[in-house]
Amino acid sequence: MIKVLLADDHSIVRAGLRRIIEESGEMEVIAEAADGREAIRKAHEHVPDVAVVDISMPNVDGLEVIRQLRDDYPKLPILILTMHEEGQYVVRAVEAGAMGYITKQSAPEQLVKAIRKVYDGHRYLTDEAAEALALRVAKGAHGRSPLDTLSMRELQVLRRLALGNTNREIARAYHISIKTVDTYRSRILKKLDLRNNAELSRFAIQNGLIES
Amino acid sequence: MTFKVKRLIFSGAFSKLAGMKLRLILLVLSLLAFLSASTGGFLYYSSLKKSALEEAERQAQERLQTIQKSFSAFLSENIKPVRSLAGLDFLQHSLIRPDEAAALEKANLILDHFNRTLETEVCYLMDRRGDTIASSNRLAADSFVGENFNFRPYFQRAVQGQPATYLALGTTSGRRGAYYSHPIVVEGRPEPVGVVVIKASVEPIERELVSASDEIVLVTDPHSVIFISNRREWLYHSIQELSDERRDRIARSLQFGEGPWNWVGIRMEGERHAVDRHGRGYLIHRIELDHYPGWNVIHLRSLAAISRTVSDPLIRIAGPSILALCVLIGVSVFFLYRKASVDILRRQAAEQALRESEERYRSLYHHTPAMLHSIDTNGRLVSVSDYWLDILGYERAEVIGRKLTEFLTESSRRYAEETVLPEFFETGFCKDIPYQFVKKSGDIIDILLSAISDRAMAGGPVRSLAVSIDVTERKRAEEALQHAQQELRRYSQDLERQVRKRTQEVTSILKYTPAVVYLKDKEGRYNLVNSRFEELFAMRNEEVQGQTDHDIFPNEIADQFCQNDQRVLSDSCSYQAEERISQSDGVHTYLSVKFPVYDETGKISGICGISTDITAVKKAQEQLRRLSGSIMDRQEKERKAIARELHDELGQLLTALRMDSAWLRHRLKDTDAHASERALTMDTLIDKTIDGVRDMAIRLRPGVLDTLGLVDALEWVTSDFEKRTSITCFFNHRPVPNLEDTLATAAYRITQEALTNIARHARATRVDVSLGIEDGVLSLIVIDDGCGFSLRELTESEGLGLAGMRERASLVGGFLDVQSQERKGTRVHFKVSINPERPG
Repeated sequence: MIKVLLADDHSIVRAGLRRIIEESGEMEVIAEAADGREAIRKAHEHVPDVAVVDISMPNVDGLEVIRQLRDDYPKLPILILTMHEEGQYVVRAVEAGAMGYITKQSAPEQLVKAIRKVYDGHRYLTDEAAEALALRVAKGAHGRSPLDTLSMRELQVLRRLALGNTNREIARAYHISIKTVDTYRSRILKKLDLRNNAELSRFAIQNGLIES
Repeated sequence: MTFKVKRLIFSGAFSKLAGMKLRLILLVLSLLAFLSASTGGFLYYSSLKKSALEEAERQAQERLQTIQKSFSAFLSENIKPVRSLAGLDFLQHSLIRPDEAAALEKANLILDHFNRTLETEVCYLMDRRGDTIASSNRLAADSFVGENFNFRPYFQRAVQGQPATYLALGTTSGRRGAYYSHPIVVEGRPEPVGVVVIKASVEPIERELVSASDEIVLVTDPHSVIFISNRREWLYHSIQELSDERRDRIARSLQFGEGPWNWVGIRMEGERHAVDRHGRGYLIHRIELDHYPGWNVIHLRSLAAISRTVSDPLIRIAGPSILALCVLIGVSVFFLYRKASVDILRRQAAEQALRESEERYRSLYHHTPAMLHSIDTNGRLVSVSDYWLDILGYERAEVIGRKLTEFLTESSRRYAEETVLPEFFETGFCKDIPYQFVKKSGDIIDILLSAISDRAMAGGPVRSLAVSIDVTERKRAEEALQHAQQELRRYSQDLERQVRKRTQEVTSILKYTPAVVYLKDKEGRYNLVNSRFEELFAMRNEEVQGQTDHDIFPNEIADQFCQNDQRVLSDSCSYQAEERISQSDGVHTYLSVKFPVYDETGKISGICGISTDITAVKKAQEQLRRLSGSIMDRQEKERKAIARELHDELGQLLTALRMDSAWLRHRLKDTDAHASERALTMDTLIDKTIDGVRDMAIRLRPGVLDTLGLVDALEWVTSDFEKRTSITCFFNHRPVPNLEDTLATAAYRITQEALTNIARHARATRVDVSLGIEDGVLSLIVIDDGCGFSLRELTESEGLGLAGMRERASLVGGFLDVQSQERKGTRVHFKVSINPERPG
């Protein structure tokens, strides 16, 4: 049984989550916390296998909780469970040391999978989160990079193309027309002085935009 | 007049002629003086020369006689000694017994003795045949012993028993001499047994003869060969040209060497004169030597030398005085000549000037634009000027000789005849007489006539010179002037009235305006203040005048005023400033407009200031600002609260609901497929609702801004913007510290507003948002490449949008600069200085 610490300031949400976790039959909630400080204390008391933490919490917020737990239990995998979908949070959470990031909205479908994944020592990110992280890493890691000439949307399209997505898939993902995707593609190729998708993929790998 | 001019011209010509003549006379006179002086000098010189010639002749005669005498003496000098010598036994012995050496020796000794005693050249003894057997020069190189001189006439004569003297050039010795020979007779023998000879050199006597250098003394033989001369080069030349036959004879005689006895070139000219080859003239005299028939003493004297003897002393003595005299005469002639010339020139110049002035006067008379005329004692016109004719329209021929009064109007004529003319002829003067002339055309003109009269020597008037001034125009002008003056008076009265009215108006304005108005000079002294000023500072205008700000106000206020005044003076343009003045009810703020006042030359003469009390406005403005600030603040807070409520509470609840519906769906999946389907629909619905709520919350205020800060918020908003608009959007930032909430909010909202504007209006394809911090100043720049806009053409709502951004900027103490050019995009720049130590 995977011992899970659940930290969320909403009791109703917490209850819902507990039910999802416990119904899986392979993990149990050994402790619950309504704020950051309590989460840290409970982690000390119960030593969970996985900590599921909300970002927005009273007193010590989620990111700080991650930092402290990382310091105290470097091997404790932490899964961020939040209302926020903005990439910025994902980046911050992963930077702070979280192993996984899912929204509460997708909890019924993904929570158990995510807990299991991080428990097994893997990273668990939604597609959006993975993308945000990749872009941030690619953009922020190096001082000056060829990627500086690309806008965020161009970076997104670039990454998707490098991952092998079709124009149609990309268009659907970002709610834009196929034609627009094509425009982005040619603009990117021109800006980076590349000739085709193969070169584009190589470029994305070299610049840490996707993992090889 | 004409006559006079002619006379003048004539006299001018005459004077010129006279000038020339005078000069000529002077010249001739000086020439004559010079000639007479020269003639006198010449005559004097000639007489001197003549007497000198006579004197020279006389001298020559004397000289010749002296020479002749001394020559005769010389030639007879050794006659006696030779005779004595001939009588001596020893000589006879030696001749008789030529083999007896002792006798010969004795003879030689005697000869030596004689030679020594007599100081002759040589004494020698010859036998009958002419051979020299003994001689005083027997030991010399040119010894005569053994020589035969039987060809000599003196030998030939002596051997025949006659003593002889002979003049010749020695054939052995080559020296001239006088030979004295005497036969030696032995008793018992009929013929002389030998001859004894004494030869005396002629050179001593030659030296004696010749003294003066300018005379030539010659002794010539009958063939005219020169034997003795004080001119060495003439020796053995002939004084006359020699025929060949004569030359032959001379050569044969061996008397004068071997010749060639050339002619010296002297040619006789008349009795007493001779000329040499070079044309030099000589005075020549000759006299025969006693006892030497054919031999002459000739005396030549150079005529030039004689002249010199006259002229030299003359020149020496008279030369300088003559020269001085000549110079004196020359100088005085020159001086007189100059003086005469100058005088003549002056006269000519004066005449020329007179002529010119006459000419000028004439020209003036005719060409001056004034009516001039002259009348004689009968009142008839003698002359009129061209202008006079021009004005009245007559020809000269029509008016000369007619009475002046004929050209006057009836009334003027009467006035002239009765009053003016009689008076004029008496006084010879009249001035500004108002007449009316009648033109040929019949028009009448008004004139003012002034005249003077030329008086004859006797005193009576001869003719007049009158000037008439056409005053028709002037009269007309005077009338016009009078009219204009009236107009002007009326106009100026009107003007004065207007000025009074304006002044009153301005005074009223100054009095009742709530603004403070004052005038100062350049040095800052008050010239004028209005009643508001008086009231406010409790000072009357008269008290303030001449005072400066420093005299009236406390230093810090006065300094403030002066500084602003100075700015107006230095920039020469108006300046607007807020000035703060303490009043009884606290500090008031005045908006002062100050501008330079110019004087009539365009130079700044002072400053005028109008200060309006804007304290109340200022206060209201401040209140408004604070109000708007607080409204925004509150709005922001409310948004934040609502966003949080929506996101955290409603969102969480919905999430919980979503979990439950998912659970339900899951539970019913196997038992009730239909219910499960409904649950799925519910799931989707809840998802949408959650998205909507989140969206709403984030639009109200993004949680990122509060939890993660400005940089993340801007990153999110730009990428969200790009996602929603498809306008390429870059966000660049430098590391920025945590910022104060209001500041971060302002920056975020400004960016949001700018992006909204770009999405709505700019038609841009690219936006660059950059955030940075430099020297404690946060700088946020939003640049687009859109169509831009003109700030003046903004609609009200757009304007309000910009105003809102400005408001936000100013509320946090920042500044917003918006630059936009049509078709060149827009640049919004928000700058605010931050205190990095303040917690965010």
